[in-house]
Amino acid sequence: MKVDKPLISKLENLAKLALSDEEKTQLLTDMNDILSMVEKLDHLDTEAVAPLIHMSDQPQVLRKDEIKHELSKEEALKNATAKVDPFFTVPKVIDLD
Amino acid sequence: MSVYDKYETVIGLEVHVQLSSLTKAFCADRTTFGAPPNSQTSVISLAHPGTLPRLNKKQVAHAVRLGLALGSEINPKSYFDRKNYFYADLPKGYQITQDNLPICVGGVLPFSVGERAVNIRIHHIHMEEDAGKSIHDLSDHATMIDLNRAGVPLLEVVTEPDFRSPEEVDIFMNTMRQLVRYLEISDGNMEQGSMRCDCNVSVRLKGETTYGERCEIKNMNSMRYARRAIAYESKRQIDLLEAGHSITQQTLNFDPQTGITTPLRNKENAHDYRYFPDPDLAPVVIDKASIDHLRQTLAVLPWEVTTRLRDEFKLPAKDANLLAEEKEIALYFIDLATLANDPKACANLIINKVRPYLQQEKISIEKFPLSQKQLVAFIKLIQTGKLSSSIAYQRIFPALIESPEQTPLAVAERLNLIQSDDEDFLTKIVDEVLAQHPKEVAAYQKGKKNLIGFFMGEVMKKSRGKAAPKTCNALLRKKLA
Repeated sequence: MKVDKPLISKLENLAKLALSDEEKTQLLTDMNDILSMVEKLDHLDTEAVAPLIHMSDQPQVLRKDEIKHELSKEEALKNATAKVDPFFTVPKVIDLD
Repeated sequence: MSVYDKYETVIGLEVHVQLSSLTKAFCADRTTFGAPPNSQTSVISLAHPGTLPRLNKKQVAHAVRLGLALGSEINPKSYFDRKNYFYADLPKGYQITQDNLPICVGGVLPFSVGERAVNIRIHHIHMEEDAGKSIHDLSDHATMIDLNRAGVPLLEVVTEPDFRSPEEVDIFMNTMRQLVRYLEISDGNMEQGSMRCDCNVSVRLKGETTYGERCEIKNMNSMRYARRAIAYESKRQIDLLEAGHSITQQTLNFDPQTGITTPLRNKENAHDYRYFPDPDLAPVVIDKASIDHLRQTLAVLPWEVTTRLRDEFKLPAKDANLLAEEKEIALYFIDLATLANDPKACANLIINKVRPYLQQEKISIEKFPLSQKQLVAFIKLIQTGKLSSSIAYQRIFPALIESPEQTPLAVAERLNLIQSDDEDFLTKIVDEVLAQHPKEVAAYQKGKKNLIGFFMGEVMKKSRGKAAPKTCNALLRKKLA
């Protein structure tokens, strides 16, 4: 797989980033380097190897269904850059999707 | 034959069930519906940096319960994935869900449409979390965000495209609602959004074996709307095909006001969610012992109860379905019918008097003021002919509810409503009725035998319903002969 300019633009969009031309060129090189490193795996026979989904095979320790660590409304809103008590606010979302 | 008859509609569902738990899926804040905005959050549900999710034990147990009830395979090891998208009510920028290896795979939900048995195959069930709520209509220039719902535990049940009509979808959703309530894993309340579904709709010519291109109608939380939306969408697609166009895959919104579906997005700008395993969450491992325990303690299933009511208690399908709607009522009926040994009378009493009373008072059956012993005594008074069933239902039942400490017999005696087959008392009334209606007596004697009903009615009126019908009938016939 090769990362090209259109793919960089698509990723930029998906990540909601605004990159300069310089940054885009740098990313293009970096990402292609990373991919070619990972592509070394293609030369190995992985037929009998199960995909590694998680670094640890330790099962997850489950939490009891007990109420804890709740924030008050005031605490929750405290660090918000935009709010109208009791809500967080964001610029009007036109697209209802 | 209309062109629409040439086609069949193919529907698959994604049903979201909000689970009953005190706390959220991955953090310990409350999940109470209708709480003041942003009063139920934590650093985890707000996605503050450095926080880590911890899975609620109850979500796993509830998922396994639903899987067992539907006959799914329970994956001994399942994983969580991140579904990435930016939206203001999704603080992390991704939803934790199960994409690759969900907790339950396969299964079937059985129900019937009239006499026809339908089995909808389940593709899989996965665990995920809900997003917060965006409120668009409070301000002209801002969208308000309430994060109380952010992180509330959900199960998503994905079916195979096995539905062929909106009616099947409706009954499926009702059965699913009934099931989650029987299992006590969700309140199944559609108005409050505890159950909602996305409908994938396509059409194809009858006899065709491949599926048509499908469109997805998002977020139906009312079955009435879902039925309308599916019917509209199926017609829209057939009209397009008949006009020589093809269907393009779309995500649609249904507007109940106008009754039409409109595109939210099409295939080209469909979301690219870039699913990948969530490194914050280790695999969910369920051992056989835990599954066995959940299986052994699994609640009775609604379709088992319905079958039992029909086969063992010989109730007609309509009554069995009504009584089985709520588990508590069904179990109450089974106890009562066993005690009273008259299933039909118990079914009538519960359907016509007890259930309406509970609905009117908005109480559950545990709060019903009369004991089963009293109801058995009540039914016995009708069985033995001491009360006519109409008097019992209309007069005694309400009076009994007013004074639940009294026995039904005491109430009937106090109100002077015990049916009388005292011959002297009845003879007197019969004589009076006949004396008052000489014309009808003459007509009867000339052969108008169906006037017997008229005389019975008059006797009942005069006795205020207390006359034992059998004795009266015999007396009347004797006197008129």
